[in-house]
Amino acid sequence: MRLRASAARVFAAFAGLIACAALAVGCSDLGAGGLEGPIETAEASGGPASGDLLISNWPAYIDRNTIPNFEEKSDVSVEYVEDVNDNNEIFSKLQPTLAKRDSSGRSIIVVTDWMAKKMYDLGYLQNFDKNAIPEVNKNMLPTLQHPSFDPERQFSAPWQAGMTGLVVNTAEAPQIKSINDLFEDPSVAGKVTVLSEMRDTIPLIMKADGIDPNKATADDWLAAIDKLGDAIDSGQILGIVGNSYLNDMARGDVVAAIGWSGDAIQLQADNPDIQFVMPEQGCIIWADNMVIPVGAPNPDAAYEFMNYVYDPKNQAPIAAYNSYTTPVVGVQEIFEKTDPELAKSQLIFPTEEYQKNCSPQPEPPRLQTAEIEKAFEALRTGG
Amino acid sequence: MRAWAQKKGIPYFLLFPGLAWLFVFFVVPMAFMFGISLYEGSLDTTFEFTWNFDNYSDSISTYDTQFLRSFLYAGIATFFCLLLAYPLAYAIAFKAGKWAPVLLFLVVAPFFTTYLIRTYAWQTILSNDSVIADVLRSLGLIDDRILKTPAAVIAGLTYNFLPFMILPIYASLEQLDKRLIEAGRDLYSSSATAFRKITLPLSMPGVIAGTLLTFIPAVGDYINATFLGNTNQAMIGNVIQSQYLITKDYPVAAALSFTMMAIIVVIVLVYIKFAGSESLMGEDRAL
Repeated sequence: MRLRASAARVFAAFAGLIACAALAVGCSDLGAGGLEGPIETAEASGGPASGDLLISNWPAYIDRNTIPNFEEKSDVSVEYVEDVNDNNEIFSKLQPTLAKRDSSGRSIIVVTDWMAKKMYDLGYLQNFDKNAIPEVNKNMLPTLQHPSFDPERQFSAPWQAGMTGLVVNTAEAPQIKSINDLFEDPSVAGKVTVLSEMRDTIPLIMKADGIDPNKATADDWLAAIDKLGDAIDSGQILGIVGNSYLNDMARGDVVAAIGWSGDAIQLQADNPDIQFVMPEQGCIIWADNMVIPVGAPNPDAAYEFMNYVYDPKNQAPIAAYNSYTTPVVGVQEIFEKTDPELAKSQLIFPTEEYQKNCSPQPEPPRLQTAEIEKAFEALRTGG
Repeated sequence: MRAWAQKKGIPYFLLFPGLAWLFVFFVVPMAFMFGISLYEGSLDTTFEFTWNFDNYSDSISTYDTQFLRSFLYAGIATFFCLLLAYPLAYAIAFKAGKWAPVLLFLVVAPFFTTYLIRTYAWQTILSNDSVIADVLRSLGLIDDRILKTPAAVIAGLTYNFLPFMILPIYASLEQLDKRLIEAGRDLYSSSATAFRKITLPLSMPGVIAGTLLTFIPAVGDYINATFLGNTNQAMIGNVIQSQYLITKDYPVAAALSFTMMAIIVVIVLVYIKFAGSESLMGEDRAL
């Protein structure tokens, strides 16, 4: 008796729900893609910066002292948030408000090259007022000044650059030198992970098979995704992970991974055997960029912060902390005096010779991007 | 008028805040989600409302593995929760005496740490070099590792939802009129028979509430599969998360959420029908 009554009520509720759907459709706004109109420039007022500055960056990407020192030297009060864990995730989080020209208070966001380009194409970023960032113009590493996605650095300034390659526990698996070893060496079976950032992992697999990732077709991308899927099904590769591979390696559950150059250095604190290994067929080179979103409340402060971190003496502690490739000229000279070992680091100051086989991070063929991303996600959420 | 207000108006008035809350924060979002599940398109082009019911058939046929896996893992975890929780709740209710409050506190104590951190800790508990992995290996129960296997995900689910099973069972056992058992013993029933004929039936409301409180959230869980599982242990929650945040296919994500909810509602209705709604609603006790 009770049951019938409650079941009837449940079904009535569902009927009501479907009726409400019609109403909901009228007012749902799922985001109609990009913003209309020309890209705006975030004009600097010319006066000194003041007020609040909200910066969104990736975790463990800055030393302890930079923000307090900057606050002391300027009138700006900084809220520094480490809420970028994944390019796609931060995009999904901000997209609904960016589509309404609202940056949720952020004046600087740090995203990887391809995401900066994607956001720019959707109209979610502003052009820089180049007159307001003299230090950035003057001190940016020449090799970073004209990337294909932003040839004149109109809307992006590298926070740090880096390499994607092999992170290896050299005590457990010293023989791992190539991406192919991850797929073929039986002694590391089940102790290998790859990154969930598709544009790092898949191009490295293609390079290992002799394909230039910057000329690869959609079929090449899909074939590499299939190859990865087979290796996961066979148990050779343990999984597709984000930053969590760091924990897996520190614990010893993973002995070799596709990973980022600076991570290896941070892991050495726990285990000195963990090292970044340049894959035989070369690495993927990328940069994470400071960008100014539409509706940024305080571009003046954003410019002041960019100028501050592009001053070599302020950049030095950031570079020393995270061991990624620093985008600022002059840091090496500082380290030669203060810390000669760091000045020789191939990770912070990679030579042309060291990076000779590396490729800039590629984009999948434009028309098939969605299809390729879906195939990779399907793999990540295992079918 | 005044008499009406006192007799009939007040109950409705008292219901109003709860109903309004449910309407604004449950019914309306639900309707929105249902609407979204019928869109077509992508973020790069536009989303258009086209009564696109294909989202449902497509998403079910694409992700049937993850659906089955979710219900399987949640079902097994619920079973183990019941197996662990009933004896513990029984011991706390009947045997613990003055220690009962302490034991209850220990059951609830894990909640003082967040869910995320507790699951993270299980990565260490189950890691390759851990004592547990060593013991299981030497017993020959696993050949290699336990972390990033289905067993790890099910273990995590069991651990995380165990208190939701213990507490309702304890509550129903604790309220049980112990004179009924005495009466049974006086009539020459064995302990086992007394348990089977008196204790177990009277604790059924707790068991049913506990299984529902465990099974329903476990089906939709994605934290355990994320941290303790592997790509091939992804549950439907992982797929929905990825569809919303990575692929940004909102209609498919909404359709998946709705399908999952519908399946759970059907399972719960069938379960209650067989288990008896009276025991859930507590009519036995009212008698």
